Amino acid sequence: MIKYLISNDVDMGGKRTKNTSRMTSKKGKTNFIFPVIIAIVAVSSIAFLAMSFTDDSSIDTSKQYGTVDTSLGSPILGSSDAPVTIIEFGDYQCPHCKKWFFDTKPIIVENLIDTGKVNLQFLDIAVLGKDSLSASAATYCAEDQEKYWEYHSTLYSNQLGVDNGWANTTNLKKYASNLGLDMDLFANCLDSGNYLQRVLKNTDVSRNVGFSGVTAFMIIGPNNQQDLIIGAQPYEVFKEVIEPML
Amino acid sequence: MSEIKLVFSNYKYVALSLAIFVGLLFPLLLISEYIFLEPYFIAHVNSGTELGLALIVIMVGLAGLVLPMNIYRIKMLQTSKKKMSGGVLGSMIGSAAGACGCGPVGFAVFSTFGSLGATASAFLTNYEIPIRITAIAILALTLYTTSKSIQKECQINLKNQNE
Repeated sequence: MIKYLISNDVDMGGKRTKNTSRMTSKKGKTNFIFPVIIAIVAVSSIAFLAMSFTDDSSIDTSKQYGTVDTSLGSPILGSSDAPVTIIEFGDYQCPHCKKWFFDTKPIIVENLIDTGKVNLQFLDIAVLGKDSLSASAATYCAEDQEKYWEYHSTLYSNQLGVDNGWANTTNLKKYASNLGLDMDLFANCLDSGNYLQRVLKNTDVSRNVGFSGVTAFMIIGPNNQQDLIIGAQPYEVFKEVIEPML
Repeated sequence: MSEIKLVFSNYKYVALSLAIFVGLLFPLLLISEYIFLEPYFIAHVNSGTELGLALIVIMVGLAGLVLPMNIYRIKMLQTSKKKMSGGVLGSMIGSAAGACGCGPVGFAVFSTFGSLGATASAFLTNYEIPIRITAIAILALTLYTTSKSIQKECQINLKNQNE
């Protein structure tokens, strides 16, 4: 079974009142009410956009593995014969992905993956920053040495934000060294940009699924039935979606 | 405190305050992934995110106090609108801090604003907590100055009436 390596390798740090006689002018009223209304409408619009961007109709049902092409994604975590597959869409610089990795994933691994009911595949959405792309590419360099999941865990364990240095090339190599990878092979792979196109293709596939944010999951059942879970949601939600599929 | 009682003795301002509180809190909790709508409605606080939640509630609570008080001050006392901008600014800064690129609005931000959106999103993600604390400080300062202003202007109005 896969063990999660937890290490910290880097030190880095109104309505108008009836008392209108007291008002100076109509224009004056709108001047101060407008910013309030604009602020509320702006925030509400963002929330509405968030909901409207979650559109299942964009899913193309003709593709493989449910409706998602995971052929260039991560190796499968768990039994390849498991009846249910979770496809995790994530960015190594995404704080919500990190929260899910630490809070929910361990329980899923223990209760569903280790018991053979579910397997999991990770698909990159490297969109948050320039280091997202190289971090994802580095995981495939680690896969060449059969250390994909260990490297994946190391990245989330060391995540400190977006493009603030924790995932620069130097640190990516340092994580690989700490995992005991062959550094010549790893450095050549990373420096040559071997897997950048693979990450970009995965990002395209992930974006085309049709959800609104980076942290998202597709649950695919034995009859190819599928459900989307958006956000770093707790284990109970996954359990409720997965159990009827088993 | 007496200024707050004075303003909110009018139920219209209580209603406005509640509208601002709910109208800001719900989208912010959604953006920051404390509530989820799919596959069903659920509220969840991940470990280590309690501070972020507390800051959102404090910030939205202050916005719910400051904005109606300023509207009262401007409408009833016909005073300057300068202090109002502090409340609006604080609310907007705090709201933006939750709009992390990996939350449910990430793709909308990137699609709409491109690389500028990505850069802004990275900044807002890295400094989410300090930005929220700054927003709270601005709102607290605005609350203090607004209260003082109402106190002072009410006394002046009372003097004028007595004369």
